Amino acid sequence: MATTYKSLSTNDIVTTKTLLHEAIPITGTIVSGTYVSGTTERNIKNYTHGMFQSVYDYPYLSSSANHIFDIAVGFHATSSLSGTSVNHVQVSKKINMYNQMAQVLMGYDESGSVRRFDEDGDLTGGTKMNEVVFLNFARLLTKDEIKKGSFQLDLGTSASFDQSNGVFAERIRLADTNAQNDYRVNSPAGDYAVLYADSTAGTNLTTDDGTQKAGLLFYQAGIAVVTASVFLDAADGGILSNSAGTCEMNAGAEAITDLFVSGAISASCDALRQRLYNVQFNNTTELNSTVYFCRAHHNEFNYSTNPTYLSSSKLVVKNNASDTPVSYITTVGLYSADNELLAVAKMSEPLKKDPSNELTLRVRLDY
Amino acid sequence: MGFLDNSGDIILDAVLTDTGRKRLARGDGSFNVAKFALGDEEVNYGLYNKSHSSGSAYYDLEILQTPVLEAFTNNTSTMKSKLITISRTNLLYLPVIKLNEDKGVAAGKRYSAYNMHVVAVDLDTINALGSNTDGVINGYSTESNVTNIYFDQGLDTSDLTSTLSIDPDLKETQYIVQMDHRLGMIASPRVMADFGVVGGNIANFSFLDDDNIATYYFTMGSGGNNSGFISDIIASDNSNDSSIAGRRGTRLGLTIKASDNLENSTFLFDQIGLSSNLTIGSNNYQAIDTVIRVMGATTGYSIEVPIRYLKKV
Repeated sequence: MATTYKSLSTNDIVTTKTLLHEAIPITGTIVSGTYVSGTTERNIKNYTHGMFQSVYDYPYLSSSANHIFDIAVGFHATSSLSGTSVNHVQVSKKINMYNQMAQVLMGYDESGSVRRFDEDGDLTGGTKMNEVVFLNFARLLTKDEIKKGSFQLDLGTSASFDQSNGVFAERIRLADTNAQNDYRVNSPAGDYAVLYADSTAGTNLTTDDGTQKAGLLFYQAGIAVVTASVFLDAADGGILSNSAGTCEMNAGAEAITDLFVSGAISASCDALRQRLYNVQFNNTTELNSTVYFCRAHHNEFNYSTNPTYLSSSKLVVKNNASDTPVSYITTVGLYSADNELLAVAKMSEPLKKDPSNELTLRVRLDY
Repeated sequence: MGFLDNSGDIILDAVLTDTGRKRLARGDGSFNVAKFALGDEEVNYGLYNKSHSSGSAYYDLEILQTPVLEAFTNNTSTMKSKLITISRTNLLYLPVIKLNEDKGVAAGKRYSAYNMHVVAVDLDTINALGSNTDGVINGYSTESNVTNIYFDQGLDTSDLTSTLSIDPDLKETQYIVQMDHRLGMIASPRVMADFGVVGGNIANFSFLDDDNIATYYFTMGSGGNNSGFISDIIASDNSNDSSIAGRRGTRLGLTIKASDNLENSTFLFDQIGLSSNLTIGSNNYQAIDTVIRVMGATTGYSIEVPIRYLKKV
């Protein structure tokens, strides 16, 4: 009996899971400076609601632009920065932003109150981060999640404000060091780890051995929460050494705490971008594959229905009946039980099949 | 001693066809890979040089250099020619399927002006063309139709006698027919029988894919609406009995019923029809050219037959 289809048994099908990683570098010049036209940064999008700022890799009015991340700032209602005077700008929005992010990323305590961001992830106590900056990376970059242990955020921490890159003379790096072996799972948003600060240019930190806690990184959510104290010296309650000094965040020489009070969220975002030297991480894509082992035994698939295979019904690859038949494989088709073609795989070149050989073609279908 | 080159591991990345994606999206378990087939549509076996002066290692040199296209995702555009499994290795001849216009059958001819069968889609058109005209299928009423399309299967070579039947393992007893369901449906051939004219029953298709291509299965000896399509060709030494010169297998006969859309609307004629009207006699007609594909389920051999749907303007 001649047949064209061969059934796959359960022994011919196997499912596998593979994690794919891509390196994502975001240089600071993209975030601030590359697409400036006059006083407008064309790849930075501000909204009328003023809650956050979006960063694109190209002027966002272009169809070529990709959204890469959002920046927002916020503080807790109990923060010393909170207030009701005329000098306090967008206070409720900053508190709302903090609460929204905290309820999603940290969840609620046993009394139903939103948990605050905790410095080390030990929610039973310890230091809370009341004034924070949020970097929400786009799904386009993080894919399924950020790879643990791969995240680095470099910030310029020179005390004086200098738009000609002088802010980067001294730098610190926030990294999820050793997070692949040390991360937390008590967040409703998935895994997270502590970001540790270390100096990469100059000696800027009070505790400058790579153990200084400076924020949290949520892997599946793709969100970095950075404490505002990375721009403050110890005298002002920050992590920078007093000799390094508190950073002037804008031309008005305001510290980040002042900016959080008197500036709009977008102004704080602008100031942060100008201090952002580099971001890089590896993303992760979880690839589920089914591998179909298509086995062509020695006595199978040796003839073809190709119209050129016959000349007046005679096989063109044979002179005599005793010659062995031969065929060439270029395509593998995967079919349903009712012979509907569901998937196709192609060879890179024709593969010879004759009665003297057997082939096992591994056809992988990714989901 | 050197290492063996193991870089030739054959791992192929498959892409879902449009039908595969549709079934996957349906989420009802209909996406289930149950079997596979191997294809060779890019290969031109005419390049197989059995008399290459350098020896047998060079016979298929040109075939092995054939560039292979990336995968098509349209399920009907790929796997056109499949490899087949026949346990015997001593076959020198394989069966083909050929159009049969007038060998042992009546009213199977093509419309001579176009060299293809034409389908009149409405009453005006069949009246204008004439229902008894060779090659004109009455797509308006299969009960009044007299024109059929026949396909004969067998070993089309005079090297083998036609007085013997084809080997049973090469005999087609099931055919798969694919056609554009927007344009028409398959109906059983109208033929004379002892008790009068029979046939003209519209067949049931097995499934309709996302491109509106309907797939019909016809099995010899089956009942229901899909019966009466296949018959044995009598082995004889009369060359007028079949379009197959050598050993004969089975015959598939069918006709076409035009769709209601073609009968009552010019939309498809405007959209996918010929850009200018055709003139036959003193009348003008809108036309759509298409093909129907007939494949033997056993041997996988396939043939595509052009069809022209006509509608009188």
